[in-house]
Amino acid sequence: MDLTLDEVKARNAEVISEALSVYPEKTAKKRAKHLNVYEGDKPDCGVKSNIKSVPGVMTIRGCAYAGSKGVVWGPIKDMVHISHGPVGCGQYSWAARRNYYIGVTGVDTFVTMQFTSDFQEKDIVFGGDKKLDKIVDEIQRLFPLNHGITIQSECPIGLIGDDIEAVAKKKSKEYDGKTIVPVRCEGFRGVSQSLGHHIANDAVRDWVFEKGSDKAPLFESTPYDVAIIGDYNIGGDAWSSRILLEEMGLRVIAQWSGDGSLAELENTPKAKLNILHCYRSMNYISRYMEEKFGIPWVEYNFFGPSKVAESLRAIASHFDDRIKEGAERVIAKYKPLMDAVIAKYRPRLEGKKVMLYVGGLRPRHVIGAYEDLGMEVIGTGYEFGHNDDYQRTTHYVKDGTLIYDDVTGYEFERFVDRLQPDLVGSGIKEKYVFQKMGVPFRQMHSWDYSGPYHGYDGFAIFARDMDMAINNPVWGLTKAPWNAGQ
Amino acid sequence: MSQNPDKVLDHFTLFRSPEYVDMFENKKAFENAVPVADVQSAADWTKTREYRELNFAREALVVNPAKACQPLGAVFAALGFEGTLPFVHGSQGCVAYYRSHFSRHFKEPTSCVSSSMTEDAAVFGGLNNMVDGLANAYNLYKPKMIAVSTTCMAEVIGDDLNAFIKTAKDKGSVPAEFDVPFTHTPAFVGSHVTGYDNTMRSILEHFWDGKAGTEAPLVREVRDSINFIGGFDGYAVGNLREIKRLFTLMGVPHTILGDNSDVWDTPTDGRFRMYDGGTRLSDAAAAVHAKATISMQEFCTPKTLAYAAKKGHEVVAFNHPMGVAGTDRFLMEVARLTGRAIPEEITRERGRLVDAIADSSAHIHGKKFALYGDPDLTLGLTGFLLELGAEPVHILATNGTPEWQARVQALLDSSPFGRGCHAYPGRDLWHMRSLLFTEPVDFLIGNTYGKFLERDTGTPLIRIGFPIFDRHHHHRYPLWGYQGAMNALVKILDKIFDVTDADTMSPGKTDYSFDIIR
Amino acid sequence: MTGLRQIAFYGKGGIGKSTTSQNTLAALAEMGQKILIVGCDPKADSTRLILHAKAQDTILSLAASAGSVEDLELEDVMKMGYRDIRCVESGGPEPGVGCAGRGVITSINFLEEEGAYDGADYVSYDVLGDVVCGGFAMPIRENKAQEIYIVMSGEMMAMYAANNISKGILKYANSGGVRLGGLVCNERQTDKEYELAESLAKKLNSQLIHFVPRDNVVQHAELRRMTVLEYAPDSKQADEYRTLARKIHENVGKGTIPTPITMDELEDLLMEHGIMKQVDESIVGKTAAECAVA
Repeated sequence: MDLTLDEVKARNAEVISEALSVYPEKTAKKRAKHLNVYEGDKPDCGVKSNIKSVPGVMTIRGCAYAGSKGVVWGPIKDMVHISHGPVGCGQYSWAARRNYYIGVTGVDTFVTMQFTSDFQEKDIVFGGDKKLDKIVDEIQRLFPLNHGITIQSECPIGLIGDDIEAVAKKKSKEYDGKTIVPVRCEGFRGVSQSLGHHIANDAVRDWVFEKGSDKAPLFESTPYDVAIIGDYNIGGDAWSSRILLEEMGLRVIAQWSGDGSLAELENTPKAKLNILHCYRSMNYISRYMEEKFGIPWVEYNFFGPSKVAESLRAIASHFDDRIKEGAERVIAKYKPLMDAVIAKYRPRLEGKKVMLYVGGLRPRHVIGAYEDLGMEVIGTGYEFGHNDDYQRTTHYVKDGTLIYDDVTGYEFERFVDRLQPDLVGSGIKEKYVFQKMGVPFRQMHSWDYSGPYHGYDGFAIFARDMDMAINNPVWGLTKAPWNAGQ
Repeated sequence: MSQNPDKVLDHFTLFRSPEYVDMFENKKAFENAVPVADVQSAADWTKTREYRELNFAREALVVNPAKACQPLGAVFAALGFEGTLPFVHGSQGCVAYYRSHFSRHFKEPTSCVSSSMTEDAAVFGGLNNMVDGLANAYNLYKPKMIAVSTTCMAEVIGDDLNAFIKTAKDKGSVPAEFDVPFTHTPAFVGSHVTGYDNTMRSILEHFWDGKAGTEAPLVREVRDSINFIGGFDGYAVGNLREIKRLFTLMGVPHTILGDNSDVWDTPTDGRFRMYDGGTRLSDAAAAVHAKATISMQEFCTPKTLAYAAKKGHEVVAFNHPMGVAGTDRFLMEVARLTGRAIPEEITRERGRLVDAIADSSAHIHGKKFALYGDPDLTLGLTGFLLELGAEPVHILATNGTPEWQARVQALLDSSPFGRGCHAYPGRDLWHMRSLLFTEPVDFLIGNTYGKFLERDTGTPLIRIGFPIFDRHHHHRYPLWGYQGAMNALVKILDKIFDVTDADTMSPGKTDYSFDIIR
Repeated sequence: MTGLRQIAFYGKGGIGKSTTSQNTLAALAEMGQKILIVGCDPKADSTRLILHAKAQDTILSLAASAGSVEDLELEDVMKMGYRDIRCVESGGPEPGVGCAGRGVITSINFLEEEGAYDGADYVSYDVLGDVVCGGFAMPIRENKAQEIYIVMSGEMMAMYAANNISKGILKYANSGGVRLGGLVCNERQTDKEYELAESLAKKLNSQLIHFVPRDNVVQHAELRRMTVLEYAPDSKQADEYRTLARKIHENVGKGTIPTPITMDELEDLLMEHGIMKQVDESIVGKTAAECAVA
């Protein structure tokens, strides 16, 4: 029994007020601003965002360190990233994000390693700069093929007033101008991962671009040079994207930052176009390069064949006919594959309802891929989106969609319970909650250890995975037969 | 194009297709990649004794440690109590990390809240975060108890939990009589086992010593019951259930303090249970009357045991006892403390374990092992390996102390199989990597991160430890008791046989030894 | 541990806080009290007069060289001085680095866990300047110091600091048991100093527990790294400290919850006693040159 649009809106409004009724008044007032039912003709989703999380509510958000070390810097493969402070932050984020890369780990690449200054009480009391100084020496001695070092600050660094910039400069001088990047991404800064992205972008600007480089360029420029910005190569996403760009005749001179290298960061000012996937985490540096080097940037979306085709054409529009034809050629080449994937999976997924809650991009970006499979997204929200993300979201969501910003564990559970979607897409902390409730689930940060999901190759995997989640026979077994009536 | 709708290729195989392999090769031109030969020679150099010396000379840098920070242990301990919501005062990202970490290991939800302190709280202190946070957590999640610990941020600025919680109660965040035990758990002191200890002690102190001055301390009246504390344990689900089964068989009146077995093993039946199982709060309070308190992990509970001793309990500590002799000692102590006999059924279990070891030990005898993990686990495993006639050549604990080292050494000295074996306190897995190159062993025992060592050094990894992210459900099976030792034995044997088979299946070359009977 | 008196001396830097506290504690020792001094100032000068030493090895410096505080024993950090007064210094980083406040927390936790307070009649914390962060408030948390004595003088900044410290005490007074024991005025020979100190004490809902007159014998003793009590036990100044000690001893349980005042009220107080003239709003923010022109 399908509800009418008005009924859906009324139910969603009711669901919101039900959830709010449990909070203390002050908190209910705050949370009310983050929850809304989208009105189809509005230019944004009608929610406040990028505001401090309320204490004690079980926010799903992380911190600035996670945004810098975990997201932006961590995947740069030929640099050593020091988690500077106590052992935990680096430990919990160690190799957990599936930023794939090619390299010999521990020799010329270091992504899936945990380098930490393992702060002890004495480092807090007396300051950690001397220790950091020594750590750089030890990295140089034991990992001589590293191309650079970043210092990812954990909470105490900013609180005890360590001068990591001074250490970075001093050590850089000692090692012939080596790139050593201090990053002030202490976890208490900002309200989520988001400020960490921004701080990390600024660190690239100040300590990679501004530093300048007298190294000879690695390559001769061509008119078709582009850089992939904001793809972290989770499960190989950047690879299944890059291959399409190269097939249409472009040359990718840098990947930010999945499977990326310091050299690629340094290459990027030579790009003719920056193509930006994760707007939230890397719009800052894209804007900077636009202003400073005059490089235009274009957002794109490589989830699902409709959006891939749209994006390939949008990217091609910045180039000559050779590339435009290349885009059409690529779209045509993969069409039979896409048709076959849709023919196989759409009948099994048609009409299924999805609720999403992810980071700063996917809550809108993946909607097209679901729609290519005949599925409908009935609720979505961002962990750390800003207002411009919610504006962009209006291009994707339907009238009446339930919108929840910085959702709390409590709200999300209530919403899913009331809306009864066929699939929830969110993160590891949410996965088992919903599976216990008998709701199929896919992790949409890590692709649930699958992937890639980007590009045409990725869409086939996406479709298979959604099918295997929803049509898993286990969901028919959750009730014991003798309790089936309950 | 390699993708195929009939047999979808994902990352495991997709990127091996020629178009991707070419793409990776072409990408190198933009990477300033180190020439292959140089990478190879550097990689070879890391295998040398010279590199090992440099590596062991490290004074500041830590690479791939096998330990986590205090609050992780605090959350673990708190979750062992009925209806308890762990509340971590400090930055919120930490809590996201603890929850993810546990959920990746147990494949279960982990509930925990943060007081979400930000830059302003760093300057002005986190009192308001505590006041609002307790009120919100209490109203939303209806816990029976909120156990507060701290992140390093709150510790550096010196927030006073006692004062803050009192103020929050005065302001009506939670009812005055609501249980809010608390403990300071600075991440820059000790490790996750320290956080477990601090939290366990703080919860007992809360119940036994008058709930932070709001009630009269309990007066102990000695009863015929014992307390059991498991410690921080990735196998808590299986282990604690096994201990309860053994105690029930023996008829031992007992209280498990910190019973995590159900909270991380709830059924999928259409309902999310935020709280399940756990030590009843009334039982935790009544535990003061116990005649004795047993800890399975001494290095995980020093302060807790000292506190129980102060209350007059006889305290007995083990080091994660495993195997025949370890379990014998444990059961005999329980029998001594409680006056209960060890029943025939358990004796038969013991006999079955001995039987299994006798059947299989030829395959383990003399094999060399490297192992790492928490101090007690490594002690327990070392004892078990020695019992199996194996040689635990390298034993490493990043959170091991000199005292731990002495204890391991004593154990090694007690067996001919311990000759030439060494304990490495305070070292990390990058040190272990050097050891595995310069003094190779047959097998490595450790947590999931050990797979990087397996890849680099070719030493087959047997997964025993925490966290285990890349194998499922092992936490449901015990390592304690004779049955637990049986599980560990089978785990070890399976790997040995798999490696033997893989090593002998080359057709026409080695497969004469590819026996069907082993 | 019933009967253990825990007190703390706070005050603006340079006010003579350490001198006053050590002399007073020496006088208490003379009365037969068993004293433990816990210096909570990174300068580590809270025990030098008792120990006749330049500076004592501090808990934090010893811990740093040993690895961590867990590697220390009580006897490593505790020294015995004049009349068996036990002395420990928390210590801390050089100015401008690290976190001295955290150091105070570390040290006090260590001392409590090691049983340093066993057998003492008095524990006295000597705390740097102001309650600048949570760490320096450690001595006034619950179950730590019961009474705080603020060392001040008739100077504006010393009074300002005294008021600020009262704010810190107030924060903890409601949830914990800490009280303001009183103000100790160390004479600087400013105008109407006694009256001013007395008025401030009253405004803070406290008492001027003692007015310590200025006397050069203090400096003579200090040069020898001694308290006056030891250097010149028969001097008048020694008696002043004995009086202060007796008053503190008798002040048990008589501390109050302070009522800190606003900056405006403080200025009013100074004006009342003619220390500060009515502020001519027209001169605020003007340089000397500008004023001359006007």
